[in-house]
Amino acid sequence: MPALGPMAPAQRCPLCRQTFFCGRGHVYSRKHQRTLKAALERLLPQVEAARKAVRAAQVERYVPEHERRCWCLCCGCEVRKHLSHGNLTVLHGGLLEHLASPEHKKATNRFWWENKAEFQMKEKFLISPQDYARFKKSMVKGLDNYEEKEDEVIKEMAAQIREVEHSRQELVRSVLEPQPVPDPEEGSSALGSWKGTNSLVASTSQQPSYLDLPPAPELDWMETGQPLTFIGHQETPGIGNIHSGATPPWMVQDEEYSSVNQQIGPSYEEFLKEKEKQKLKKLPPDRVGANFDHSSSTSIGWLPSFGRVWNNGRRWQSRHQFKSEAAARNKQSHKKSQSFPDTFSSQQTHT
Amino acid sequence: MSFLLPKLTSKKEVDQAIQSTAEKVLVLRFGRDEDPVCLQLDDILSKTSSDLSKMAAIYLVDVDRTPVYTHYFDISYIPSTVFFFNGQHMKVDYGSPDHTKFVGSFKTKQDFIDLIEVIYRGAMRGKLIVQSPIDPKNIPKYDLLYQD
Repeated sequence: MPALGPMAPAQRCPLCRQTFFCGRGHVYSRKHQRTLKAALERLLPQVEAARKAVRAAQVERYVPEHERRCWCLCCGCEVRKHLSHGNLTVLHGGLLEHLASPEHKKATNRFWWENKAEFQMKEKFLISPQDYARFKKSMVKGLDNYEEKEDEVIKEMAAQIREVEHSRQELVRSVLEPQPVPDPEEGSSALGSWKGTNSLVASTSQQPSYLDLPPAPELDWMETGQPLTFIGHQETPGIGNIHSGATPPWMVQDEEYSSVNQQIGPSYEEFLKEKEKQKLKKLPPDRVGANFDHSSSTSIGWLPSFGRVWNNGRRWQSRHQFKSEAAARNKQSHKKSQSFPDTFSSQQTHT
Repeated sequence: MSFLLPKLTSKKEVDQAIQSTAEKVLVLRFGRDEDPVCLQLDDILSKTSSDLSKMAAIYLVDVDRTPVYTHYFDISYIPSTVFFFNGQHMKVDYGSPDHTKFVGSFKTKQDFIDLIEVIYRGAMRGKLIVQSPIDPKNIPKYDLLYQD
């Protein structure tokens, strides 16, 4: 077979992830350049984001998302994107550090030479050491700002808690003092502050920046500006109530019996009730419910299942089978009981 | 809303309602007709009363007219709803401190319908206390202020 095109030992291009036999010609092919462009386009946004961070470094609280790594095309290694220490993270810190390092510079140069990429693009992927020094300065500033913000938030939360505690104490004081009419506003504002404390206490563990979100929609439905009207304590120590187990008012026999009730025979209401009961009696006796007559006899087909095990059809199919089997059974027993007198009679006729 | 539902104005009428409602859940709403939260609750009650007519009978009771009942059920916040079945007071565990009555209004009609159904089924099975099917965050929160 004649050789096709230039022959060279098999070489693998890591960018296209393919083996080729063209030697150094592969790098100039259209496919390779396309792949190269796509790869650089993927890498470029990350580098740009890191470059922006050089001016204004952002410091945030640590979140597991900050463990993300980025693949550096030129060095062929994974690099931590963000720099974390303790529970703080500097965004894009890791990537910047890597981009500014001398090994990365050497690797980038080699990459550009080997893959014959555009020369102007190379600069975009490098960070000079001066830039890196600038980044370090802004990082320090960012850290200071973050600490200040944290302190502020903590102070705010402390003030809120103090306020709620204060209103709570006021309420207790007002309830203890003998007042002629307990203010409905006081009662309702207490309700509002209870809710406020509960939701605050629940969310102190969360991030301070998210503090506003969970309590707001909860308060929306519950309060809507209309807390429950308080109609006073229902306490008269002499008379019991439901919690103390007193007789319910409807069980207490009333003495005010009017002369109407002294008539003999059922009254009109009782007549109506009898009519209702008659209606109930008309219900099918076999139906299950509150008034199911347990003494009524039910047929063999009353239970929900007919004893079939491997059935996967509708109930009427198993019922149909059950009925035909029952009929066959009945016929057999009928035949048996009938066959005796039959033979008797035949014998008699014979003799 | 409240003119669509029957009202009970005296202790005797309430007694009669409790003793004569048979095979249906009896819902007594204790409150005042003008109170805003009562209006909300009455709205839900009247809109669902026809759908629940076979399962429940709903009545409105004014707390000022029946002090005996207001005192017996220890009604401090209005509206409070008490449930009966065949003359038996039904308790429901809503996740709130008081199981003997439902304090406040329901969030949706479906919540009320679900609650009535659970009470009905529990009562038919002979239970005296049932577990409320309503999501605890839809139950209005209130504080029981204890007297010292």
